[in-house]
Amino acid sequence: MKKEFLDYVLKVRLPVTLFVIFGAFAVTYYVARPERDGIGYEPEQPIAFSHRLHAGNMQIDCQYCHTSVEKSRHASIPAANICMNCHSVARKDKPEIVKLTKYYEQNKPIPWKRIHKVPHYAYFSHQSHVMQGIPCQSCHGAVENMDVVMQVNSFTMGSCIECHRNPNSRLPKDFPKMKSGPVHCNACHR
Amino acid sequence: MKLFFNLFKNKSEFSRKSKSAPDFEKMSAESRRRFLALMGATTALTATACKDYRDKGEIISYNRKPQDVTYGKANYYASTYRDGSPILIKTREGSPIGITGNDIHPTSKGKVSIQAEASILDLYDPERLKFPLKNGNKTEWKTANQEIVKRLDEISAKGKEIAIITGKINSPTYAKLLNDFAGKYKNTGIYPIELFSDRNKRLAWNACYESNEYPAIDWSKANVIVAVEADLFASDGVPPEQINEITKRRSGEKAENFNRIYAIEAGMSLFGANADYHIRVRPGVYYSLLLAIYNDLVVKLAPFGHSTIGDYSIEKVVAENKLNQKKINALLNDLLNNQGKSIVYVGDNLPVQLHIIANFINDILSAYELYDYNSSYVEFFKILETSEIENLIGRMKQGEIGAVIFADINPAYILPPDFDLQGALKNIELKIALTERENETSKLSDFVLPINHPFESWGDYQTRKNIVNLQQPVIEPIFDTRQKEAILLSWIYGNNAEYSFDLYHKYLKNKYLEVAKQLNAVDFDSFWYSALHDGFIQLKGNEKNITKPKLIILRQTKKPIEDSGISIVLKKSPLIGDGRYSSNGWLQEIPHPVSKIVWDNYAAISPITAKRYGLDYKDFKSSVIKISIGSKEITMPILLQPGVAEDTIIIELGYGRKEAGTIGTGVGFDAIPLMDKTLSVVLSGAKIEKTGKKYKLFATQEFHKLEDEYLKDLHRKRQLIQDGTVAMYLSNPNFIQKQRIMTEEEIDKHSVNPPHNYPEAKWAMAIDLSRCVGCSNCVAACNVENNIPIVGKEECGNGREMHWMRIDRYYSGTSEEPIVSYLPVLCQHCDMAPCENVCPVVATTHSTDGLNQMTYNRCVGTRYCANNCPYKVRRFNFYDFRHRFADGYYEQDILELLHNPEVTVRSRGVMEKCTFCVQRIAEARQGAKSKGKEFTGAEVRTACQEACPANAIVFGNVNDPNSEISRLIKHNLGYKLIEILGIKPNVTYLAKLRNTNSEDLT
Repeated sequence: MKKEFLDYVLKVRLPVTLFVIFGAFAVTYYVARPERDGIGYEPEQPIAFSHRLHAGNMQIDCQYCHTSVEKSRHASIPAANICMNCHSVARKDKPEIVKLTKYYEQNKPIPWKRIHKVPHYAYFSHQSHVMQGIPCQSCHGAVENMDVVMQVNSFTMGSCIECHRNPNSRLPKDFPKMKSGPVHCNACHR
Repeated sequence: MKLFFNLFKNKSEFSRKSKSAPDFEKMSAESRRRFLALMGATTALTATACKDYRDKGEIISYNRKPQDVTYGKANYYASTYRDGSPILIKTREGSPIGITGNDIHPTSKGKVSIQAEASILDLYDPERLKFPLKNGNKTEWKTANQEIVKRLDEISAKGKEIAIITGKINSPTYAKLLNDFAGKYKNTGIYPIELFSDRNKRLAWNACYESNEYPAIDWSKANVIVAVEADLFASDGVPPEQINEITKRRSGEKAENFNRIYAIEAGMSLFGANADYHIRVRPGVYYSLLLAIYNDLVVKLAPFGHSTIGDYSIEKVVAENKLNQKKINALLNDLLNNQGKSIVYVGDNLPVQLHIIANFINDILSAYELYDYNSSYVEFFKILETSEIENLIGRMKQGEIGAVIFADINPAYILPPDFDLQGALKNIELKIALTERENETSKLSDFVLPINHPFESWGDYQTRKNIVNLQQPVIEPIFDTRQKEAILLSWIYGNNAEYSFDLYHKYLKNKYLEVAKQLNAVDFDSFWYSALHDGFIQLKGNEKNITKPKLIILRQTKKPIEDSGISIVLKKSPLIGDGRYSSNGWLQEIPHPVSKIVWDNYAAISPITAKRYGLDYKDFKSSVIKISIGSKEITMPILLQPGVAEDTIIIELGYGRKEAGTIGTGVGFDAIPLMDKTLSVVLSGAKIEKTGKKYKLFATQEFHKLEDEYLKDLHRKRQLIQDGTVAMYLSNPNFIQKQRIMTEEEIDKHSVNPPHNYPEAKWAMAIDLSRCVGCSNCVAACNVENNIPIVGKEECGNGREMHWMRIDRYYSGTSEEPIVSYLPVLCQHCDMAPCENVCPVVATTHSTDGLNQMTYNRCVGTRYCANNCPYKVRRFNFYDFRHRFADGYYEQDILELLHNPEVTVRSRGVMEKCTFCVQRIAEARQGAKSKGKEFTGAEVRTACQEACPANAIVFGNVNDPNSEISRLIKHNLGYKLIEILGIKPNVTYLAKLRNTNSEDLT
């Protein structure tokens, strides 16, 4: 082998090849991190509402606030008037409740940060899932233990399909055996 | 080699002028603006994307959620559209997104007009007026109202008249309001003007029976229906109701019950296209033909109180005008044999004399047995006769009128220039236009006050004696608009009362206090809310009233239409009416039910007459002709329309608007200038002249030469249309099945694909072609439900219309006496779908419930599927059409509210097609499952099925043995489209039956 050629291979080809391999690996790694799917996303909310306090300690049913979860495909973020059912009396002096009251009285909607999201071309239905008895926690995680709500599962098509093919893998151990969910395109996309 | 280079030299693709730097001066402002906007948007997007890619935005919930709103579920509210159609408005989270019929309404039976169906687009039209204008400048409501009231007071004090020009008044409360207005300003005149109305029909009824309220007709009882220049399926009477009732008796399911339809007309209307016998007659012959029919009946039946008129006889009329003797004989026979069960209906706009003759014929036929007096058509203010319009304009010119208020009417367009309204308006001090959007009349007015869309208004509509439809708002006014009644009311109150949205509501409720008392309601609130919930109030109707018309009235009639030169029939457009709906892109783009022309009108002419004048229509290029009557002339493209009488031209009005915004302006040609001061829709003595110019007239479907031996009846030879006569079916019920080329078993045997399993549901549709009249209501409903974009005239010409459902129209027979067939075509959801096999990215697949699914986010736009589809039902987004059409007109922010949130809005490069309304299936399934019920699919109705006035479409689950569809797919009239391909389509067509006398169809 000629010296020049070896020199060329070592000086140019090898670094370029290595760069491409590592670059591709790095980019793939970066893009495929669970964090990219939103796992661990924990934004600050306009009012520091604690699910641990309400759902955990006080055992208020999820559906007291997320009213339409059994009626419609949206679980619905509660309107301010639902908060005011209690807080027009309870804990009126606390700073966060003062904030809430202000929103309510000024007739302004509360700009809650969105945490869980499926793409707009996927039509996920809370109604279908909740009415089958699937616990909220199997997708949303143990919200009743969170002070600030965080996304714990990925909401990609992969995770939907995985559960639809083998539902009990994601459900609690003592959950009765479930029929697998539909996996045809129209089940979610229209 | 030289040749090779020359090839390039002449090709524009490479030799476009790109020598020097781009000439910025020549670039249009739009493109520069768009470039900057794109730049800005890109920068902003990049910046936000980098800032926090995990940010998913905000969820904005209600502050105080209204009780009846559930996120993600639609609410329905009963209301009424401006044409009096009772409707249910579908709203999602407070914004209206669709229209359906009100199923419990006794007269409409849940069927609405095509205009009401598409009206949702008008609500969100970005070109609606957003604030009051004074002399073209923005002003405030308060200052405008103050000034108007002050000036009205002054004008009234001077003793000059205040003229309120309005359209047909169907609202009792609006009528009361106008009387109140006249109570405050003593010299107020109220002038209802309409171009198309039932004025002549009412005048004739009054002359014969001395009553202003003519009865409704129970069409479903009629065995024989004879329509004279009346398009009962598109523009005369109340089309959705008539389609519903007439087609009840036109179905293969009860073939022995079939009615028979005769259309005597000069052109080919939608009703004529569906008639069993289409008798083409020049309009000048109507009078003598009707009298000849009358005389013939008088001679044969010798009824009491009738005697022959003149020397009109069938033999003479037929011989003189070369009419089809066979068809006329059939007509006379049927009338004789079906007394009490037959009716002659004359087109609403034809001269009074013809209506009078029809009343007399109906009297002989005892047609009063079909009359529903209980549900008579009422009127609150008489629509002006033409002499009264002339008188009004004369007084305007003499300065007797001080102020004119145009209440939601556009007389500057609908009145022919002969009246010289424009000149007369110069003498008026104060001209006020109340209108939704700028039009020809508002351009001539000092004050232009924006009014609410019907969905933002309170109101009541009473077209029938026994029923009042209520209108309630379902959304707050989107712009700073007020409803016209409230504006007039605030002028009546002067400065004493502040305007509030509730102003007219209170007035309306006050009116119904009396009604509630009359109906013995226990308390008003529960009466009112239950009436609003239902959308109507039932009242007492008229008593049956049978009097004999006096023969002298018939003796006094004179021939109303001369038969000289070229005759012209002016008709109301079945889509955009008299031009009032012309700013609705959906209505403009729905192909004309008969000619399939989009975005245009034309002079329909028979092929033989056209040949005589050297005119043709080929490859979408149409000869332009000059039509002149006396000194009036217009130019217009022609269309060769089989079935039109010789030396006759049919023109639809409503087109050629000069001020109808981006959408309606300049679409088609205005033929109103041909009319004279009598507003007669039938003109004679016209001349036509070839101009030598060509005009591009686009149709979504062409037809072959009817006389060509090889192409003739191709649709029958290929079994796209299968038809027969009722007699044929009754004597041999299996005649369609015998024509089948292959049986289902044979098809299965030849298939190379393994069959699919459908364990739960399997969806299918059946369309009864005997019932389908081709009215295109289904197309409009599909557009609304499935977020179909508007592509514009040019793109339609390129074959890129996006409608998921189309209605094919086929002609057989000859061009003089064509036989028309309609075939609604949508995705057939084949079991062995050829599109599925060829998609390289698996974007179109088969679902477990028999749907052919299209997954937009997977589609890369290879268009293999469309190429492999034998039905041409797949539509490709060659552009982002919302962006491309009229410079992004339908892309503006406000139109986001229009979209059905349950259906993806498709973008460029994506294939799309009918989904069998999968969103409705999904919703029904979720509803059933969450209630723990087994899902049978009985409650699923597709948008087209809901909208079909004829109930021709049936949809359902084949696996459910109790469903109607599982019975219909095995019907002995059923056939599939191009079945021989072995692709097993899931739409079953029930063969078209025609009720002709003989078994031969010609």
